[in-house]
Amino acid sequence: MAIDLEDEILQDFLVEAGEILELLSEQLVDLEQSPEDADLLNAVFRGFHTVKGGAGFLALDPMVDCCHVCEDVFNVLRNGERAVSSGLMDCVLQGLDSVQNMFAEIQSGIDPTPADPDLLAKLKVYSVPGDNEPEDAASSAASEPVESVAEEASIPESQEVAPRDATDDEFDALLDAMDSETSESSEAPAIDGDEITEDEFEALLDNIHGKGKHGGKPEGTEEDSTPAETGQADSELISDDEFDALLDQMHGKGKGPTATGKADVAASSGGDSELISDDEFDALLDQMHGKGKGPTTGADEDSATSKPAAAKPAAQPTAAKPVAQTKPAPAKPAAPAKPAAETSVRVDTERLDDIMNLVGELVLVRNRLQTLRLNMAEGQITQAITNLDMVTADLQTSVMKTRMQPIKKVFGRFPRVVRDLSRSINKQIKLEMMGEETDLDKNLVEALADPLVHLVRNAVDHGIELPDDREKKGKPREGIVSLAATQEGDHILLTIEDDGAGMDPEVLRRKAVEKGLMDEETAARLDNKECFNLIFMAGFSTKEEISDISGRGVGMDVVKTRITQLNGSLDIDSELGKGSVLTIKVPLTLAILPTLMIALGDYTYALPLANVNEIFELETRKTNVVDGQLMVMVRDKAVPLFYLSKWLLKPGEQAASGDGKGQVIIVSVANRLVGMVTDSVIGQEEVVIKPLGAMLQGLPEFAGSTITGDGGIALIIDVPSLLKARANKGF
Amino acid sequence: MAIRVLIVDDSGFFRRRLTEIFNADPMIEVVDAAVDGKDAIAKAQTCRPDVITMDIEMPVMNGIDATREIMKVRPVPIIMFSSLTHEGAKATLDALEAGATDFLPKRFDDISNDKAEARHILCSRVKSLAQPARFARTPPPTRPVSTTAASRPGGVTTPPLRQSISPATPKAVTPAAVIKTHRAFNPSEYDLVAIGTSTGGPVALQDVLTQLPATFSLPLLLVQHMPAKFTEAFAARLNQLCKIEVREAKDNDELKPGLALLAPGGMQMRLEKRAGRMRVKITEETDPMQNYKPCVDVTFESVNSSVGKRALGIILTGMGADGREGCNTLKNSGATIWAQDETTSTIYGMPQAVANIAEQILPLKEIGKKLATNT
Repeated sequence: MAIDLEDEILQDFLVEAGEILELLSEQLVDLEQSPEDADLLNAVFRGFHTVKGGAGFLALDPMVDCCHVCEDVFNVLRNGERAVSSGLMDCVLQGLDSVQNMFAEIQSGIDPTPADPDLLAKLKVYSVPGDNEPEDAASSAASEPVESVAEEASIPESQEVAPRDATDDEFDALLDAMDSETSESSEAPAIDGDEITEDEFEALLDNIHGKGKHGGKPEGTEEDSTPAETGQADSELISDDEFDALLDQMHGKGKGPTATGKADVAASSGGDSELISDDEFDALLDQMHGKGKGPTTGADEDSATSKPAAAKPAAQPTAAKPVAQTKPAPAKPAAPAKPAAETSVRVDTERLDDIMNLVGELVLVRNRLQTLRLNMAEGQITQAITNLDMVTADLQTSVMKTRMQPIKKVFGRFPRVVRDLSRSINKQIKLEMMGEETDLDKNLVEALADPLVHLVRNAVDHGIELPDDREKKGKPREGIVSLAATQEGDHILLTIEDDGAGMDPEVLRRKAVEKGLMDEETAARLDNKECFNLIFMAGFSTKEEISDISGRGVGMDVVKTRITQLNGSLDIDSELGKGSVLTIKVPLTLAILPTLMIALGDYTYALPLANVNEIFELETRKTNVVDGQLMVMVRDKAVPLFYLSKWLLKPGEQAASGDGKGQVIIVSVANRLVGMVTDSVIGQEEVVIKPLGAMLQGLPEFAGSTITGDGGIALIIDVPSLLKARANKGF
Repeated sequence: MAIRVLIVDDSGFFRRRLTEIFNADPMIEVVDAAVDGKDAIAKAQTCRPDVITMDIEMPVMNGIDATREIMKVRPVPIIMFSSLTHEGAKATLDALEAGATDFLPKRFDDISNDKAEARHILCSRVKSLAQPARFARTPPPTRPVSTTAASRPGGVTTPPLRQSISPATPKAVTPAAVIKTHRAFNPSEYDLVAIGTSTGGPVALQDVLTQLPATFSLPLLLVQHMPAKFTEAFAARLNQLCKIEVREAKDNDELKPGLALLAPGGMQMRLEKRAGRMRVKITEETDPMQNYKPCVDVTFESVNSSVGKRALGIILTGMGADGREGCNTLKNSGATIWAQDETTSTIYGMPQAVANIAEQILPLKEIGKKLATNT
């Protein structure tokens, strides 16, 4: 069946289903907290039911099938004929992932790939009243003595299921053993029989290495397979975190082929075969894509497709995993329509952008008129212009509101992110969210998504300690990560707070010196807060190993850059042992920029108001040259001072704006204060950013230009870039 | 004047699809849409729809409770949209009992493989339900709610609803006033009772069968137009409510006094008599000429071959004219035919089609009562 993306009905479905699916992932995570909540069970049931209905209408059968069985599970749950178990939740979440994958496939015009029949079979078991679990999904706790495994070894094959997961400890032990000495691995607990053979798994690993430009076939397969003998021909079902660990091993430690080789075999040595579950496979694909060439290259796609075939045992021959089974990215709906009310219309966001631009123009005209009015004594005109001012302001607000979306769009994905993470790294974490209803510009919502995900992952991974450690410190085992959004004037304030270990400024200082980011003297001069902000510097990461969790290729510096691009700012505070607070401040909208207009010689420049901290008159006697750098004292603190005229005016023009007089504007950049001297300050003005034309490409110091109230043109200074380009160091 | 339809569904997607389908028909006008049961109750009051289409699973208040409430306050034909699953069947039967008139599969592909055909059926179903004057603005006080609220199961494999609006009998039939004899029911005259019904049948059958005593001396064969999966749930429900035993017929089931066998959905049920024993044959047939699965005519004709005049055939409420051929054959053999009267029929199609040959034309309540006497 071909999917016609032009089809309005399909689009309609995608919008509604997208919202429901997003909601579902939240609800499912909530459900783990309150598994008895009848309303929630009903809501989840209806969610699957409605998606199924829509999919049925469009004859998207694979989606119908998967939703259907999930719906059945929740029907049993809501009738109280079964209780929520962790195995069940895992299955249902996988089911949801599967539906979301299909959703993504449909969105990109591909026929949805049927869900793993294995998964469907498991869900089917859960959809019958009772408390039995599918054997495959049995809790990972049970670790049978090795002897009995021998007898059982053949059973899983016939049952088409693998009885148990390796427990984390066991797997850790396994990996430890591998790292230190391969032969020790024979002591590693050998676990459970299941489906793919070692050969297949090796083929799989070869594939990864082929792509990853690592070495070829691992050596030492022979010796490593000894545990299989001593451990009596077992195999294992490895779980997410174990697989992650494995991949970490491969990628993190193993630059050389041999090291990797060992790690590889470490996994397979536990037994002669492995069953790779969806999540694990996802993780694998993430790894491949994240590290390597990206998913677009044909080769990767090929390997991705070929693998499922290998990975799926004969017992489930039809279980070909979807090609597009990439990461379970929460589906983005096409438009912000609410399902409930029929009072809304769908408007292309481009059209909204156009309207916003036009409003911007109007704002400029109004500014111009206001300036003209000052020179006119005509009362009626003044009145009219005042009215225009009001109307324009209202219009601007209303148009802005049409582009507003609740931050929930981004927050909505966190419960799942935190749940999955905490499960995979064995932490107990509660996520609290506040102010989800806070609205902000659609573009901002989208732009904030990645940085926020990164920061939340970071808080989970680096912030919150392991439950045992927390207990030792006298904290509850369960850590709390809280996310909050509030509107403060024309800004949105986002905070990400954890009650974890906090950061040690000393460690950070030392690290900065070790990494050669600054000399010891400079480091020693940093106050605590500045130390914390070190983590935003490029090339700074405190965790020894880059974990898969927070280290997805982007560092905190990238986060910082992204936020800055949004005219936002980022601040961090921390107390050792108590936790950390990250605060992000972003403007409500990107379309209209509040600026401070300054005059420099004959020119007008605009400074984004977000950067401006304070303005005062330059007093030469308060300035000193320290270490070749002009400094000014601001409340007993030395702040570097720069003359903008030296940077922005031609030498001849600089004479006009003489040294020693003018206004100092203190701007904050990367949580450091810098003083800039300008001739005079004109005032605050809201401007619409106009991109610099093609003729003016390659001027990073300027974010764009705008038309000023008096009809002139002003360049908008991009403060961080300007400092980076002109000031000598440290920016 | 166009038929005013109120759509009730929590999914905007479905509301829009249904609106599109209905509004494409000049005879139908969607007056409003409600997003949950509570909303539906309020809008059923304010919009005064002629027909309501109702989803079952909804937040705030589900479709069954909403149906019950609406039927209490302002009875109006309600079509349920059901999933064709066991669970869906149970919910649908609840809805029918709550007063819904009819149901259709929520998945339109289940109505017909042909999209245009499915749309057509949807519209014609709405039109035919809006027709009967049964849903006068104020219901006659004499009529108990349960009968007002009869229902017609969506025969999944039943496309031929077009003709069903008007009585399908070619020779127009004498009205219900012609109640012929009031001859008492004497079970010794019969070997079995066969009942055929469609729209409104689930509630009507329930009415008839619950009146029968456990000692009822004849076997019963029931043919209710219903999709597969639904009949099992329906039989189970009847069995729970009735003193006699009711179950979905399985192949080779033997007829016994006081046992009612319900023809399974999607199949045909035939009676076979061999060596004095009567058993049912259940077959899955693909004859495109068979519009109904199960089909009343098929069962009734087999009844005729087996017992001939010693059969009592009863036709209850239903759209269309299934049962007419079977009853004619039976009548020719000398068997007795009863039909439900117009006033108590949800849809006076099938009963009307046999009214001219029926020995008795009875209000629903009377049928069970009459059967229960002398047994």
